[in-house]
Amino acid sequence: MSLDYVKFTPGFGKFMPKEYRDMVEHGPFGKKTAVSQVGTFKEIMEEHPMCAGCAMTLFIRLAFIAFPNPEDTITVGTAGCGRLAISQAAVPFVYGNYGDQNGVASGLSRGLRLRFGDKPKDVVVMAGDGGMADIGFAQTLHSWFRKEKFTTIMLDNEVYGNTGGQESGMTNKGQVLKMAPLGKKFEKMDMLGMAKVAGCAYVATVVPNNPRRVESVIKKAILIAREVGPTYIQAYTSCNIEYAIPTDQVMQDAKDVENDRYKFQEYITDEAKEHLATLYGYKEYLPKPAAAVTKG
Amino acid sequence: MYLVANIDQEICAATSCKLCTQYCPEANTIQYDTEAGKDKGLKYGSAYVAVDRCKGCAQCVWVCDNMAKHKAIKMEMIDQIGDQALTPNITYQEKNTKAVLASPWQS
Repeated sequence: MSLDYVKFTPGFGKFMPKEYRDMVEHGPFGKKTAVSQVGTFKEIMEEHPMCAGCAMTLFIRLAFIAFPNPEDTITVGTAGCGRLAISQAAVPFVYGNYGDQNGVASGLSRGLRLRFGDKPKDVVVMAGDGGMADIGFAQTLHSWFRKEKFTTIMLDNEVYGNTGGQESGMTNKGQVLKMAPLGKKFEKMDMLGMAKVAGCAYVATVVPNNPRRVESVIKKAILIAREVGPTYIQAYTSCNIEYAIPTDQVMQDAKDVENDRYKFQEYITDEAKEHLATLYGYKEYLPKPAAAVTKG
Repeated sequence: MYLVANIDQEICAATSCKLCTQYCPEANTIQYDTEAGKDKGLKYGSAYVAVDRCKGCAQCVWVCDNMAKHKAIKMEMIDQIGDQALTPNITYQEKNTKAVLASPWQS
């Protein structure tokens, strides 16, 4: 929660593991890091127990690189695959009871604002489609209706991957899974539509197929959530185990799904545009100058 | 034995796409050495794999073959690729990383 937290007590640095020393000395804390520099600095995420080739891990890794101030960020998660990687990072992680994550984040975000005032402290919720659209659905929607200022990221793998392949609200209609042998009978939930209706200031869909877009979307969502209102990102992060995707075809699948049903969409309110333009120098959202009159 | 990614530094150092570093699902696994190719007369640095962290998913192979179209990465058996970069032998610098190659069986 503060840069001093990660630093060594003087004289004790030599007893720390190499990975920790590297992270303090060459990590992204207190610096601006970008996806394009990856591989030349120590990332805050460490080794994790998630499956080889998991697209969700790739998304979480990119998210940690994209955090504007990782030293002033808290992540909140819940049961599901995602927390196995989110908790393996040098960012405080709060484990909400199943479905509680947006309620916990509401309290955290309000408390941090009371305690630290003007200094921005970011709260980022990262949970799966089951935790967010099924079990935590009420808390998620209510946090948006209350205009709680934090970022909600759904890691949408369209299945309960951690428990053996049950259908979730975000599974596509007709999809046959190990624990849904007759195929799902209902449509995929329109969480994007609900986020807009509930008053989110920024709503976007991404696929980890495009790391720079993931970075830009997450940066915008976190910066908008500091002042304007709730923000929501829905990321397609395939489950290569339950959907039987060979690991070297995971990015091909991400590309196919992006072209099919996960096209990049971005919804941003005028207030959020103005906030990004005036406070963080986003040139594309600056008011356009009046067209110069040219004489023919 | 198991497969790990192996990057052909000669092909990699002729380009500077860095795509594999961005698409690896494991953190701190595909690292980049910005000076790797320069003493061999090549233009750019090269990516390399910390083989003790590689889980062998081969996503980087797909990205290198189909997106970058360089075909510089191959999956190889860990006991047949000789000395490789390992996490304890990687040093971080201001804007670069350097690895001293060693046998994966040493530690």
